[in-house]
Amino acid sequence: MHLLHIVNYNGSEPSFELGKPIGKAREYSENLIKLRSITRYLNLKNKAPDKTFPESQILSEMDNLLNNVGADITATYERITAIDAEIKSKRDQIKSLTPLAVLPLPLEAYYGYDSLATFVGTVATPVDADVARVSPVNEIYSGSAKNATFVAVFVPVEKASEVSSVLSEHGFSEISVPRLEGSVDSAIATLEGSIKSLEGEKAPLQKKLAEMKKQYEDLMLATDEYLSMQTAKTEAPLRFAETANAFVIDGYVPSDDFPRLKSELESAADGKLDVQLLSEGETEALVEKGEDIPSKIDNPSIVRPYELITRLFAVPEYKEFDPSLLIFIFFPIMYGMILGDVGYGVMVFLVVYMLKRKFRTPGWQQLTSIVLIAAVWAVIFGFFFGEIFGPLGLWGRIMGHLPEAQIELLKEQGLYFGEGVFGSLGRLGPLGIFPMDRLATNAVLLLIGTSIFIGILHCSIGSILGIKTELNYGEKKHAYFDKLPVMLLQIFFGLLVLGLVMGQMMMVIVSAIVVVGAIVMMVMGPEGPMGLAHVPFYVSNLISYLRLLAIGLASVGLAFAANQLAFYVIMPMLSGGATNSEEFTMVAIIVGILILVSVHFINLLLGILSPFMHPLRLHYVEMFTKFYSAHGGGVEYSPFGHVRRFLKA
Amino acid sequence: MAVVADAGSLYGLLAVGAGLATGLAGIGAGVGEQGIGAAVVGVVAEEPGFLGKGLFLMLLPETLIIFGLAVSLILMFAWTPFSGIVTP
Repeated sequence: MHLLHIVNYNGSEPSFELGKPIGKAREYSENLIKLRSITRYLNLKNKAPDKTFPESQILSEMDNLLNNVGADITATYERITAIDAEIKSKRDQIKSLTPLAVLPLPLEAYYGYDSLATFVGTVATPVDADVARVSPVNEIYSGSAKNATFVAVFVPVEKASEVSSVLSEHGFSEISVPRLEGSVDSAIATLEGSIKSLEGEKAPLQKKLAEMKKQYEDLMLATDEYLSMQTAKTEAPLRFAETANAFVIDGYVPSDDFPRLKSELESAADGKLDVQLLSEGETEALVEKGEDIPSKIDNPSIVRPYELITRLFAVPEYKEFDPSLLIFIFFPIMYGMILGDVGYGVMVFLVVYMLKRKFRTPGWQQLTSIVLIAAVWAVIFGFFFGEIFGPLGLWGRIMGHLPEAQIELLKEQGLYFGEGVFGSLGRLGPLGIFPMDRLATNAVLLLIGTSIFIGILHCSIGSILGIKTELNYGEKKHAYFDKLPVMLLQIFFGLLVLGLVMGQMMMVIVSAIVVVGAIVMMVMGPEGPMGLAHVPFYVSNLISYLRLLAIGLASVGLAFAANQLAFYVIMPMLSGGATNSEEFTMVAIIVGILILVSVHFINLLLGILSPFMHPLRLHYVEMFTKFYSAHGGGVEYSPFGHVRRFLKA
Repeated sequence: MAVVADAGSLYGLLAVGAGLATGLAGIGAGVGEQGIGAAVVGVVAEEPGFLGKGLFLMLLPETLIIFGLAVSLILMFAWTPFSGIVTP
């Protein structure tokens, strides 16, 4: 039915025992383990189903799949592993044999003595004289290659320890000699030959494995699904409380679905069961006790991707507000405000759309949906900021320039944002709307204000939800003396600064009074004077929203630098000082375009990452701390049952 | 009022100050994030569910740069303490 979120029985009541698995649970789980080990050999990943199977087909093919096909796969895989190990040991032997080529001895001369001790290895200084001193009877061979000296020293066994200490004074390090016969060169040749034949054996085996993977992939995943389903079903009683004659299932179901659950259970059990619902009061008591009541996250389909961001932080608790809707509203706007470029927005949209088509797992789908909507906002803000791959170059050519007279008119009205650090760019937007240049002084000041304003709005919504959540939990004191003053503080601190900027003394005084009042309320609150320690945190929360402007400026700056470099430095320089674009030489244009593409590509990569991370942080740190998961996160409602993907219903 | 310094060099000093504000704040944030980042990577390797909380912790020191940047912006765009003494 996929309705009931079963709560595990922990065996705490003496008269109830844990239930026992029913039916063929053991068989199913054994088969599942067998199947999982085979799929691991094949390196099977979960994927979207290409075809589905009826259960009868799974049942009829399972035996063959697990035993015959499985044994084949296991044998092939093990053979490949064995070959790999053998190749590796042969490679090691070759490695230790190679230096021995400088010594004039056949390989069988190095081992097989009863009365002789053998030392083979490299030394830093000649050893002949010193070895002769401690052991007059000796045989020493040496040779050098690749700035190291190799020696083979043969001495009587009884002198071995003395010779060994003498050798170590000369920086001796031993080489282990493989027990092979013949000359070194021929031994290496033999080893290389056998490596080649082993590799020849390995290739078709790997190909066979790949073919089997292709053939059985879907069937295996379907069987896995079937077996997991059966295992879960037969082992479910382990989660029930049981007596000799009856059992109790404890669980949660969404209130709306309760009648359906009750009627279906009763008809399935022929009336031999009793379905009871907890009363409101009992539920409240459970919440008080800190019982993890599962929360069902339910949003309209367009908001659903944003649940990913919510879940990444924490699952909302039973009485908490699910912030996905707020993320849906604010996140794309923030992303757009930071990126704010028509060119980049379109590029991000196309790239992410391709990713969306390619990766069909639910996680990727959610992520790409988030970025797709955000990219649309980036394009919208791009028109507002007048940027197509940066503020210079393309905009004027595509959108046209603003006539001189109109610029003068705008300047008079104080609406002109085009003149900045880098001079007037004189651009015209669609519908005659004049876009602002983010690098201009006026625009920076305006955007500082806008960012803080968004911050105040964002944080205040957080605080309102915080008040609501605390009231839901019945914590009136926390609501009115902890969350409310924070909201007042932030709003009126913003107004205070605005008043200072605008020179409205009345506004400043009123705001200051409210701010002081809010601080007094905070001191009266549950944390007492310690609450004051949080005041700088709340102010810094607001300043933190400046990143909406700052990250954007960094990205515009880089784009501007790229365009400036290409159009005004490299291209004129390579075409002999020409300033008119029609006089640029072919070479200059090609080099210029290469520079443009590479710098804009880097900027685009940053442009996907940082506008995503920073709004995320603004939500997590600045907004969620005001209301969300103060109690450590909830449990998500996951009803008992299975979603059929590879199995036909 | 007497001319203390010419506008150009004062503006230059402002720019140097603005650069220092952002740059040093960036170094500070980087040092702060270094330790947190290492710890978070460790935790996430053990328990992938902590990614969200880890990101949250990792991004906390980032505010430092924004403070530095705010000071820079004020210096460069909004603050003109020398407007009285500087005669262009």
